[in-house]
Amino acid sequence: MNVAQRLLAKEWSALAAAILAGFVVLSLLSPEFLTEFNLYVMLRSFCVVLVVAFAQMLALGVGQLNLSIGALGGLVAIAAGGVMDKLGFPIALAVGLGLLIGAAGGLANGLLTVRTGINGFIITLATASVFTGVNLGVTESIPFYNLPAAFVAFGTERFFAIPYLLAPPIAVGAALAFFLARTVPGRYLLAVGGNPQAAELSGLPRDRMIVLAHVLSGLLAAVGAILAVAQLGSAQPTIGADWLIISFAAPIIGGAALTGGHISVAATSLAVVLIVLIQNGMVLAKVDPYWVQFLLGALILVAVGLNRLRALHARSE
Amino acid sequence: MTNAEVRADRPGPQAWLVEQSNLLGLAAIIVLLWMAFTARAPGFVTPFNLFAISRSVAIDIVIGYSTMVVLATGGMNLAIGSIGVCSVMLAGYLMQKLGLPVPLAFAAGLALGALLGFANGTAIVRSGVNSFIITLASASLFMGGMLILTKAAIYNGVPPAIAAFGRMRWGFISPLLLIALATGAALLILFRFTALGREILASGANARAAELSGVPVGRVVVTVHTLSGLLAAGAGLMLMTRLGAAMPSIGEDWLLPSFVAPVLGGTLLAGGFVSIIGTILGALLVATIRSGLLIVQVGNFWLQLFLGLILLFAVMVDRYRGVYAERRGLGRSS
Repeated sequence: MNVAQRLLAKEWSALAAAILAGFVVLSLLSPEFLTEFNLYVMLRSFCVVLVVAFAQMLALGVGQLNLSIGALGGLVAIAAGGVMDKLGFPIALAVGLGLLIGAAGGLANGLLTVRTGINGFIITLATASVFTGVNLGVTESIPFYNLPAAFVAFGTERFFAIPYLLAPPIAVGAALAFFLARTVPGRYLLAVGGNPQAAELSGLPRDRMIVLAHVLSGLLAAVGAILAVAQLGSAQPTIGADWLIISFAAPIIGGAALTGGHISVAATSLAVVLIVLIQNGMVLAKVDPYWVQFLLGALILVAVGLNRLRALHARSE
Repeated sequence: MTNAEVRADRPGPQAWLVEQSNLLGLAAIIVLLWMAFTARAPGFVTPFNLFAISRSVAIDIVIGYSTMVVLATGGMNLAIGSIGVCSVMLAGYLMQKLGLPVPLAFAAGLALGALLGFANGTAIVRSGVNSFIITLASASLFMGGMLILTKAAIYNGVPPAIAAFGRMRWGFISPLLLIALATGAALLILFRFTALGREILASGANARAAELSGVPVGRVVVTVHTLSGLLAAGAGLMLMTRLGAAMPSIGEDWLLPSFVAPVLGGTLLAGGFVSIIGTILGALLVATIRSGLLIVQVGNFWLQLFLGLILLFAVMVDRYRGVYAERRGLGRSS
């Protein structure tokens, strides 16, 4: 294999090429694209999506699905926003509470899945409805607007083109990459996802790893929700309502297998970059926003098709 | 046997009893809820409210069938809402913009639903990718395509006959309910008495075994997705008669009810077993709770919470029944 072939064999090579092409095309076609402000807007919309994608990616890593990420995110958003607005909680405490709710929701998902042995799809479909129900019941769809100035400022301030909001997702990504590649629980988690029977036979705590993945998934949903509140400057009950498709799109475009054990922080991040680039391109081209939804669906289908081809190709060699 | 339970292998008498206990339990819960709501609010059993319940349950039942037929093979269809709205918008467009007669427009809507379902099934079989991910992507694709073409416009200039049909009352029930029940009867015949029905259940119970015994599993999967698309279109058109207009928001909130009704009714997620009466009862339970909460003024906001809790409760009971059945050596086809 020469260098070019080896690069092509990498799963994210097609993604990197697509991003590069998109970047070149957009900067040639639109003079606004490379302005500092547009880059800032793009990076800012990158933040929440990235963490949400990581939340789903971890569930996929152990061969689970988490349909409740958006619903849990919405609940965390209104809980953290609510205690800041109505009870005057300091920011750190409100954020801590939000993360706790996220982890607790994930723990509930994990325990229910493991204890009942029921498909995680149906469990998280049900808990999603519970989380959304509590959210709507408490807020009656009325957002919390009265948030601390420092918190809102964090969501809007920037250093040249780089939003402050970008710091948490980058830190989360780095921690996650380290966790999955270098720590014992991280390796166990992927081993359990890759081959549950083999992992069980070699004495790995399979159930505990599934619960761990769900807890981390819930925690990341909470991080995404808090970032979304900061970004919007208000705690909207609708936060998370549109996360479902994007949470699956990014890891899958990044080559994650639904069967588990095969996920990549780098590839998922690149997929998010591609999605944000497409969204930005649509805005600059002033196309109907509906095209984003259409293209996202098409992109997932293309990605699974490509992965399928690559797998067939690898088998024939 | 007078029940609507259909499975791939012939059940023994004990297995039959276990399955019946689920339907009986579900029916008992519904009766108890009706008694409780009637005691709390006499308005619950007025002809008007019964009519409203019959109309909404009819739509929920067909949405439930749409998922049920796919679950029979162990697959999923997350695109039901998107297919439903695409069919409705096509029918609305044909009537309002092209002036086509109602039956022709509805037939076109149903055909589009079947076609989109066929596309789903073909993509799943050809790519070999999980139906979850294909239909998640196609849901986004269909919805986006519909919005691009219609620009999210509402077609409220459709013939008044449509809304009149939605308001029509036979006694205190809507004719829509009869359509839902007749569709159920047709599905019952399909699963119980036809070779195709047997092949669908066999593919769901054990795809490899079915393939080895000569069942064309790929073709079966395409068929159930086509059927699922057709049923989703039917549910959408039924909802359109209730709303009296073709709205792009139709189908947005179908995901949960589409799974709640069949799963409450005992249809297995793993495939190989469907219960049509169970799906009808499951939808009736959902409609009862929705209407009851409104009438005792708990408000729509808490409805979602109750639906989620009920689904959780139901799957856990189902799991318990499964464990019980295994211990008794009954075994399920999962």
